Amino acid sequence: MDAKDILGIPKSSFPGSLEKKPRPPRESQRKPDGISRELYALTGGLAPLMPSSIDASHLKPKHQAGNEKITWQWLPFTSSARTDNLQLYHWVRVVNGVLPSGDYSFAKYNKSVDVVKYTDEEYEKYLSDPVWSKEETNNLFDLCERFDLRFVIIADRFPSSRTIEELKTRYYAVSKALLRARSLSPSDVSTHPLYKETYNASQEVERKRALAAVLSQTRQQERRDAEILSEAKRITESRNIIKDVEEPEPSEVVVRSPGKASIPTADCVSPSSSDIGAPTHSSERAAIPQSIRMLRACLRTYVHEQMVQAANSSAGVRTIKRVDQTLEDFAVRVKPKVPTRAVCLENLELRKEILILLDLQKQLQYKEQEASANLDGSYIDSPSTPKDRTFLPDYLGFGGERVNKRDHKRKAPGRFSDAPPSPPLSRRPKKLKASD
Amino acid sequence: MYGGDEVSAIVIDLGSHTCKAGYAGEDSPKAVFPSVVGSIDQTELDNVKSEKDFESNSDTKGKHKFYVGSQALGYRRDHMEVKSSIKDLTFVDWDIVENIWDHAFRERLLIDPKEHPMLLAEPSFNSPQQRERAAELMFETYKVPALFLAKNAVLTSFASGRATSLVVDSGGGSTTVAAVHDGYVLQKAVVTSPIGGEFLTECLMKSLESKGIVINPRYSFKKKETHPGEFQTIDLNFPMTTESYKLYSQRVIASDIKECVCRTPDSPFDEASYSNIPMTSYELPDGKTIEIGADRFKIPDILFNPSVIKTIHGMENFAPPVHIRSLPQMVIECINRCDVDIRRELFSNILLAGGTASMQQYKERLEKDLLEEAPQAARVKVLPNGNTTERRFSVWIGGSILASLGSFQQMWFSKADYDEHGVSHIQRKCP
Repeated sequence: MDAKDILGIPKSSFPGSLEKKPRPPRESQRKPDGISRELYALTGGLAPLMPSSIDASHLKPKHQAGNEKITWQWLPFTSSARTDNLQLYHWVRVVNGVLPSGDYSFAKYNKSVDVVKYTDEEYEKYLSDPVWSKEETNNLFDLCERFDLRFVIIADRFPSSRTIEELKTRYYAVSKALLRARSLSPSDVSTHPLYKETYNASQEVERKRALAAVLSQTRQQERRDAEILSEAKRITESRNIIKDVEEPEPSEVVVRSPGKASIPTADCVSPSSSDIGAPTHSSERAAIPQSIRMLRACLRTYVHEQMVQAANSSAGVRTIKRVDQTLEDFAVRVKPKVPTRAVCLENLELRKEILILLDLQKQLQYKEQEASANLDGSYIDSPSTPKDRTFLPDYLGFGGERVNKRDHKRKAPGRFSDAPPSPPLSRRPKKLKASD
Repeated sequence: MYGGDEVSAIVIDLGSHTCKAGYAGEDSPKAVFPSVVGSIDQTELDNVKSEKDFESNSDTKGKHKFYVGSQALGYRRDHMEVKSSIKDLTFVDWDIVENIWDHAFRERLLIDPKEHPMLLAEPSFNSPQQRERAAELMFETYKVPALFLAKNAVLTSFASGRATSLVVDSGGGSTTVAAVHDGYVLQKAVVTSPIGGEFLTECLMKSLESKGIVINPRYSFKKKETHPGEFQTIDLNFPMTTESYKLYSQRVIASDIKECVCRTPDSPFDEASYSNIPMTSYELPDGKTIEIGADRFKIPDILFNPSVIKTIHGMENFAPPVHIRSLPQMVIECINRCDVDIRRELFSNILLAGGTASMQQYKERLEKDLLEEAPQAARVKVLPNGNTTERRFSVWIGGSILASLGSFQQMWFSKADYDEHGVSHIQRKCP
């Protein structure tokens, strides 16, 4: 392509597809930076495989032929690692007729473990044991030496079937006894590793038993175990959910009972107390430290909240707000600051009573609406009602609350003009209106 | 080799099916030949002229004349019985063993045993008497300078560079599962089973017979060229041929069928799923072509599922001397007999050896079956050691590696030792 460019020959009139094809492969062969394109193309398009200059010092030094006369001979050799004088043959590099000297080069790899040896007297004096006979002990030590203290193999080759733990116990006991008997001063003995770390056979047995238990479960068993565990988890979770749902029911039932003047507050207190009882009881013990008390307090507020929520759950959002507003108006905190048992109970009681009050007020409203609808304009003055109206508020202890409520609802002029609106209630009408 | 020092030791592995012999340091044995011999009772042959000497290894000790090697065995002779040196996993006839060794040294390797230390591979559960007998034979008859007896499982383990492993050796005559720890076989944990390659061959033969396929031994026919390119088979009749020889020749052909055609199934064999398998065709030496279908998978499944034996025609009356377990069960049993601490390591280092283990899908099937039965905590791994042809010689290769190590040269049991301490000293020297 370049030549054609240089010569000025116009590019071939092939369709564009052919031009596109060579482009992707050529993209991969882009020239590296720092070298001009034509120069790169001269080298063949790729980096050279061989380095341009070979440093002779990197290569192995060539043997100078002629300096030494080297022959290879098949010669016998001995090894200091052997006890007999067996002579095997191997190829040896002989330089100028001089044989290489020194021991067999692999003899230095012949390492062995130092196993204590004892004489018969020493055995009689220090090492007799009721469980182990002398012959067995001798056998054990012989095997220990042959197999370099590989107890797995020693246990395998031991003629009678003794466990690895028994063999190890005997070995360490004998070594310790001999060490103590042979040593000159007790200080040497105490620093020896045999005395610093003791062999605990029973622990080993336990460990091996546990390991065997782990390894003996087949895959099928484990799959079954996993299935059972997940099933159990599901069951406990579902049980917890049911428990949570069941908890608030006793207090709800009591609150819903309509229209009763005398609220069996004792009843509603007792189930709630039984629920709060658990966290509150312990706080009455004097010895509990502050932190636990705080914990209990938190628990109690939490439980109290739950109770409140449960109590309110049947009531609807508006009424909840109304209750809260009522409490605020009476300068009672919605959440008790000091959540002792008595306070919580009183708070709950108060809330319930407010709920009942609101409920009754509503009922009264409906009845009056009905009454006014029926007795349209004829019997405006119903003598009984003021008594009721004044009676009930007195009973419940809220003064002109209901009066104002009705007043603004019905917009009947001057019927009940006796009770002036008290300042805290000024907010009330707006609230009521909004909620109505 | 950095750790190597060649002392021109010879490694011999006399198995139940083939004998492998060669120089230590090489990567494959030079001499591989069947470990059965043909023997002719000499007294019957008084009026028969003797065979040419170069073809046969004539040992006129006693009354038997032995013919060793596949070449000698391949030639049919009247009254020639085929005998095996191994029966029930032990050497029974030491004459035969001697002849086999003779053949290996003098005819195949062309060496003088006096100059070379010998490394013999022995079964993992060899009894002390057998070892002593082998040592005696070597020292007295062949006068070797040094000897070492190594267990098959250890050599396989060394061939793959491991000191601790579980070796599953599926050979011709038997299957052995042995645990090797730190280079020593745990003898109390060796598990064997009489099912091996030979047994599978026999099952295959019975199955083919029951289908009406007759395997004609190679000597019993001859092909004559009637037209260029066309052959006609003429049956020959040799009444003096012994039954054992006929059986042996048929077995040779059947084991070739088995090696070519059989594959391990991926899941336990059942008749229904394999009934529609496409058949493979195989041409017998006499020109007949046979089709083999479900048997391809049924026969190897015997190793993994011994109850299949009963379903093969002709083998219904098979009553093994001991209860046969499947291969995965044998592996689990072997591991459970070992100490708890090494079990995990054994599970993750399982090696395969032997000719039967070179069957296709053998490794995959074994791994799959073991994963089912093994505990979750252990990671089961069957190592892909060597390619399938190397598994046949893995014992020999391990011996070759061992005998050429520099640090092994101190471990030989030498003639001087033998003279001084007697043959029982070999128990100490060769653990």
